[in-house]
Amino acid sequence: MASYVGMFVGLILASAVLMGIVMFVPSLLLPSYIKIILFFISLVLDAMAFTSRYYSYLIGPLLKHRKKHVILSNENPYWLAQSGDTILRKSGENFIATVYISIPLYRSATEMEDDEKLDFSQQISRLVGLSKDPVRYTSELYVMNKDSYIQKLKERITMTENEEADLQSKDAPKNELDRVRGKLAMWRNMLDSIGKGFSFELSTYMTVSATGVKEYEASSLAQQKAKELMSGVGSIFGVPPSIITGADLLRFVEPEYLLPISTVTEQISKNIQEQVI
Amino acid sequence: MDETKLVFLLFSLIIVLFGFLALHELGKGILYYIGVLLLLITTLFILAMNWIDAKLFSAITSILGITFQPAKDYTINKHQNAVIKEVNGIFYATGYITANLFAYTFREESAPEDDEEKMISAPELWERIVMNINFPFKFHVLASGLDVQGIRDELEGKRSYQEFQLSRAMQNNSNEVTLTDIRRRMNMIQAKINRISQGEKPIATVMYIETTAIGVSEKAALDALDAQVNQLRLSFSSMDVETSRIIGRELYSLFNFNFSLPTGMKELSTMFDNQS
Repeated sequence: MASYVGMFVGLILASAVLMGIVMFVPSLLLPSYIKIILFFISLVLDAMAFTSRYYSYLIGPLLKHRKKHVILSNENPYWLAQSGDTILRKSGENFIATVYISIPLYRSATEMEDDEKLDFSQQISRLVGLSKDPVRYTSELYVMNKDSYIQKLKERITMTENEEADLQSKDAPKNELDRVRGKLAMWRNMLDSIGKGFSFELSTYMTVSATGVKEYEASSLAQQKAKELMSGVGSIFGVPPSIITGADLLRFVEPEYLLPISTVTEQISKNIQEQVI
Repeated sequence: MDETKLVFLLFSLIIVLFGFLALHELGKGILYYIGVLLLLITTLFILAMNWIDAKLFSAITSILGITFQPAKDYTINKHQNAVIKEVNGIFYATGYITANLFAYTFREESAPEDDEEKMISAPELWERIVMNINFPFKFHVLASGLDVQGIRDELEGKRSYQEFQLSRAMQNNSNEVTLTDIRRRMNMIQAKINRISQGEKPIATVMYIETTAIGVSEKAALDALDAQVNQLRLSFSSMDVETSRIIGRELYSLFNFNFSLPTGMKELSTMFDNQS
């Protein structure tokens, strides 16, 4: 039985009992001002009972915290399985394992004839109807991770600035100083041009989940479903799909991997500089 | 409205009915009028929650300034339209839009040639949209296969009902517009039955777009997210997509879908009924 049904039954029964007390207990035993309080509580419980249909996850924490910032969960939303190819989370007594499968599609509509475009659309329709279990198909446009490249450029700039300072302190010849300054300008220009805009990548993947009483049970069921889907995708598109593992998984789950931090910071500082100027 | 919701509504309104019967127990003075007022407010609240729960809920949280933490490091803002995460002083705001592409996945009443044209133009339109967007986004199609026999029985039931409506309308000498409308609905149902008979699998889908914006403050990230959502809605309008910003409980469900999907169709159908 779903948790919201239990909550609804409890609340509606409590509401009915209170309303029954208002209706059937004589006014001699229960004064009217107490009855109106019970009447009010009964209606509040009734409204809460109806609300629990969709908001059962909120009612408990809302009453418990009674603050403006309500904590529904203080735990990480997921953890990676030891094998690194499955995302796990706990739901009640069960575990839910989720597997991400990459679909390597590198076809472009600009290179297709009308027949091929129609075929492609029909292939997508077949893909969507592939499984009886809920499967999510996603096309994701994300910012290319240039963090390591930007870091390398920044290190080069710092090193060249140090080199320039050294030469200045030693009264080095002008041509030597010009050479280092030229190098410095080159690295700075490169960083500028990289920071000017994002480069994007487009990935297509699908997601499937399975529930199990134990972690390994959920994981193996999800992997099994994934393998079935992969063979279906292979036969529709003729491409080799693969299960996404490790750090690559995070790109599809965490927002900071969608917009990598150094790449983003560089862009923000560029925007601020432009605004100031 | 599904059966569960109907049962919830029925029982909640029965309590209100009992409340009306209990009014005389409160006396004839001011308490009686307070009781009437409380009953009216409760009835209005229940009915409003039944039809526009997402809007009502986000209005309440906006007025009271209530925010939620769905998981560690994540916050749902008071307007219930974004999930925010702060990493190293940068705020990432994620929002969701419904994007049901019925025209492409369900060939309902359009002529086959028209349908084919849409299928041909779809890949090119998609590429144009992707090329013109300069921020990250995800287009999700959450699909689940349905029980073929169950759907066929349901469609046949609907067709019989439409046939009954048509015969009644003809007996009552209804105007041509009404008759055409009923016939159009019958054709749509028949087209679906024919497709299932030809071996096509019926599926249930929830399609939505997810986008993430960044900012040096929460407000900056939310402002950027609003701009991105508007641009996405504009871009996808070329594909005849009905887009609306997702708020409230459906936002919470979609946030959770990033970490785990529902494992059954029933669970999925109870989550989405108003916005998607």
